Amino acid sequence: MAPVLRVDDLSVSMTSRTGELVPVLENLSFTVDKGRTIALVGESGCGKSMTALAIMRLLPDGFVITGGRVLLDDEDVLTARPRRLRALRGNAMSMVFQEPMTALNPLYSVGDQIAEVLRYHRRLGRADAAEQAVGFLKAVQIPAAEQRAQAYPHQLSGGMRQRVMIAMALACRPKLLIADEPTTALDVTVQAQIFDLLAQLQDETETAIVLITHDLGAVAELADDVAVLYAGRCIETGPAQQLVDRPRHPYTSGLLACVPHLSVGTARPEQWVDLGEIPGMVPSLGARGPDCAFLARCANAGAICRSRPQPPLHDITAGHAVSCWRVAEIAA
Amino acid sequence: MSTLDPSLIVAAAPAALPAAKAASPTKAAFRQFLRSPSGVAGAAMLLVLVLGTLFGPLVYPVDPLDIAGLPFTPPSADALLGTDYLGRDILAGLIHGGRATLMVGAVAALITISIGVTVGALSGFFGGWIDSALVKIAEFFQVLPPLLFAMVLVTLFGQKLTTITLAIGAVSWTAAARLTRAEFMRLRDLDFIKASRAAGAGNAHLILRVVLPNALPPIIVSATLAIGVAILFEGGLSFLGLGDPNTMSWGLMIGQNRNYVLDAWWAVTFPGAAIFLAVLAISLVGDGVNDAVNPRLRRR
Repeated sequence: MAPVLRVDDLSVSMTSRTGELVPVLENLSFTVDKGRTIALVGESGCGKSMTALAIMRLLPDGFVITGGRVLLDDEDVLTARPRRLRALRGNAMSMVFQEPMTALNPLYSVGDQIAEVLRYHRRLGRADAAEQAVGFLKAVQIPAAEQRAQAYPHQLSGGMRQRVMIAMALACRPKLLIADEPTTALDVTVQAQIFDLLAQLQDETETAIVLITHDLGAVAELADDVAVLYAGRCIETGPAQQLVDRPRHPYTSGLLACVPHLSVGTARPEQWVDLGEIPGMVPSLGARGPDCAFLARCANAGAICRSRPQPPLHDITAGHAVSCWRVAEIAA
Repeated sequence: MSTLDPSLIVAAAPAALPAAKAASPTKAAFRQFLRSPSGVAGAAMLLVLVLGTLFGPLVYPVDPLDIAGLPFTPPSADALLGTDYLGRDILAGLIHGGRATLMVGAVAALITISIGVTVGALSGFFGGWIDSALVKIAEFFQVLPPLLFAMVLVTLFGQKLTTITLAIGAVSWTAAARLTRAEFMRLRDLDFIKASRAAGAGNAHLILRVVLPNALPPIIVSATLAIGVAILFEGGLSFLGLGDPNTMSWGLMIGQNRNYVLDAWWAVTFPGAAIFLAVLAISLVGDGVNDAVNPRLRRR
């Protein structure tokens, strides 16, 4: 079966003030099958959101796709005409944004906003669309959906709004859902609910999900596969559980070491360890050479890393690929 | 998508929901407007003026262009507000002239806002060369002194009420265009616009159904105030002798009687007061609307 989404060698550049092309995303490839979830993880500025926007063809002004293909059910999104693109967006592929507080139109009730998507893509009548909108609000577990459908975004909490966003994104049963840090702006308790909701809806709809997140806990729980991005390059990719349990790239291990684990009550205070950190910052755009982008921050960097350009991703086991010269030594 | 078991949802609902059904923003703004004393006062004054010009002829059936008595008859029982330099009845002039004046104000404001919003929306939404081109055109209109420009247009195309209305619209749309452009530029990059685009909305839908409604509050306010400005403009043109001599209007009355201010104060004072009251009423309404649609500006 062909994957729902196949991203091949996708490259995105930013046009600088002087007109030069500065690479933002380099040769990114991944696939997502029906009903599966891939998580894109990495620090801010690694190109995660740019990947999402490039797939939707919604890159901001000044950003251009310089190469590669994005196939949605074997249809190339990058060469689609504007008309076709509008038909795909919201219908075959849709997106949930990071900020539920600002991603809803303040002037229309949430029911109307969901109904509008249905009326546009499904050509439903006003009454049918309104009725289905209430159904979707129920499906995302909003209590008293009939009344809530009449509510305006400002009357709902952040978690509620994100549920509305998810309802809107899934209203046309898209093949692909891109969730760009859907829980970053929410309370921790609500975050877990939203991830549960996404997992549950995915079971019902078999939507393929591209999940963009910093939350490595969520990755282990929700994602089937993970691609770790660093400075616009994919540096490790593989099955989620395997990658979280046995990360092979120093950056991935570093990220995992930064996830807090609750020690209170499970260990004595003297056994508590400090939270990890990765010193330094992601190299800024334009400051990325051919050598390993993580070199300057890597504790394991050796002579071989300095003397050669960044290696391509190579499989270490089936489906688990790493871009690191010293992967064999580090694993040992 | 199969929904969850409904019984679960009911169980999860809080026992007593706060009144979730809210008024639409339009209704809420209207209610807020009714709470502003000056706005309501302005609206009432405006209503009186409009009703007066509409139904006045029924109550006071005098032709404003007929000679009703001796020139410069002071206000008396024969002519309630006196007569002008040709002996025409001032009150009849006020009633009939009000129609023309208010109509010119409303239509010219409509033209102003239509051109302004169209130009501003296109240039603010698309940016780039479209924006540059439209801004250049707007600047061309901005650097010409509006009254002089309108005088030229009226002189060229004839002293008719339609010409005057169009001329007023043509010289005063730039402010609305700048306002709309700024609002569109502010809104263009907001998340919910991006979200609409991601849901498949095209440019026309985004402009008309998503961005414009959100940009409306200041536009409505400026549209209201534009009526007042247009009335003053019409008065100014008529005062300078460029009014439509065949249609009675408040501006025309002042313009024609301005040389006799010292002999017949009533001939200019009453139409002047009418213009003053109309513009005041419209400004008060504009303020009320502003308070109603811009809640953030309300607390001063």
